[in-house]
Amino acid sequence: MNINIRTLVTNGVLAALYIAATALVAPIAFSNIQFRLSEIFNHLIVFDKRYFWGIAIGVFFANLFMSTLGAYELLGLSQTIISLLITMGFGVFIKNKLVLMVINTVVFTCNMWIIALMLNLAIEVPFFITWMTTAAGELIVMSIGIAVIWALHQRLRFDRLFDYK
Amino acid sequence: MNNAFIIGQYVPGNSLVHRLDPRTKITVIFFFVFIVFFANSLASYSILTAFSLASMLTTRIPVRYILKGLTPVWFLIIFTFTLHIFVTKQGTVLVEIFNLKIYSGGVIQGFAISMRFFLLILVTSLLTLTTTPIEITDAIEDMLHPLKKIKFPVHELALMMSISLRFIPTLMQETDKISKAQASRGVDFKTGSIKDRVKAVVPLLVPLFVSAFKRAEELAMAMEARGYRGGEGRTKLRELKIMKLDIAIFILFAAVAAGLFLTRVY
Repeated sequence: MNINIRTLVTNGVLAALYIAATALVAPIAFSNIQFRLSEIFNHLIVFDKRYFWGIAIGVFFANLFMSTLGAYELLGLSQTIISLLITMGFGVFIKNKLVLMVINTVVFTCNMWIIALMLNLAIEVPFFITWMTTAAGELIVMSIGIAVIWALHQRLRFDRLFDYK
Repeated sequence: MNNAFIIGQYVPGNSLVHRLDPRTKITVIFFFVFIVFFANSLASYSILTAFSLASMLTTRIPVRYILKGLTPVWFLIIFTFTLHIFVTKQGTVLVEIFNLKIYSGGVIQGFAISMRFFLLILVTSLLTLTTTPIEITDAIEDMLHPLKKIKFPVHELALMMSISLRFIPTLMQETDKISKAQASRGVDFKTGSIKDRVKAVVPLLVPLFVSAFKRAEELAMAMEARGYRGGEGRTKLRELKIMKLDIAIFILFAAVAAGLFLTRVY
């Protein structure tokens, strides 16, 4: 696999941005659902598949250094990677970015079974109820993320950021 | 700047655990996470607890600091314990409050699962407490090396991680600066309806993204100008090396695992 310098550097900086946003921007909390601002970065995959590395590394470091479950939550990284790969697969056939963001939201929501399984293994909480509650939280967070990322896309054009001059 | 946030919670030191090769620590933790699920008796939990506490004390990091770092997890541990004492209905009834019965099996189950969870978190947190982020990156690069055979971009992944670590403090300062600048202009991130708060986030993210990608552009140009050609033929400033100490730790851990399995047999 050959990754050019710009893609490498942009993804490195994007991962840092993910961590900075996670650490410093106060989470928007609605009831018991915590909206981690950086979660919305998952939608960047819709605009260019080259964002994959930056998002994955950002999630990896954020979980490693900042999650309440410490390194154990690294297992949760697989949820992000699998979801991103599925959305990338849809991206081959669907070109409408808004539709793809909705699909991305559904994919991330459905894949919360991985988090539920992780919690089920770790603390033996009921799998199905945990899946439903964590999926509900993810659905709300990712839906809000569509609005934020779309608003940002209108100004920043995420599909062109790798082609800067 | 939010000083409560400590990257990786790394605490510098020269303890035995600090001196271990990061690959040793990652490997031991990986297998610890695996074997902890085989504990099913007081004896097996005692072995795991002894190993975890010995590891913690060997780091020479104040116990209070480590336990303080685990503060957010206490809620989950208490929740787990409470859930199991009310859900599990095995053994004899210990307490009956109105129609709510607490069984001996529930208390044992709750204690066992909470203990297992606590040990998992404690041991995994020792990795980030005693290993610098850059050491973790080097170890991951080395451990993923066999994947190069299937064209996985191991060096590139490690480079992206290193760049990320380099830019975290810079972008955190930037984020802090921009959010304060926006707050001084009257942007309120903490109150209002969902729509208002989502709207407030956009003026924060636009300059942040612009600034971050500008930095990326400058770094990419600098690397291109210096003729960066990827991982082939590059040498490293820090070479990882397995020492006698690492081998001793592997043997000790193997003994712990063997002891754990023996408690299941006898």
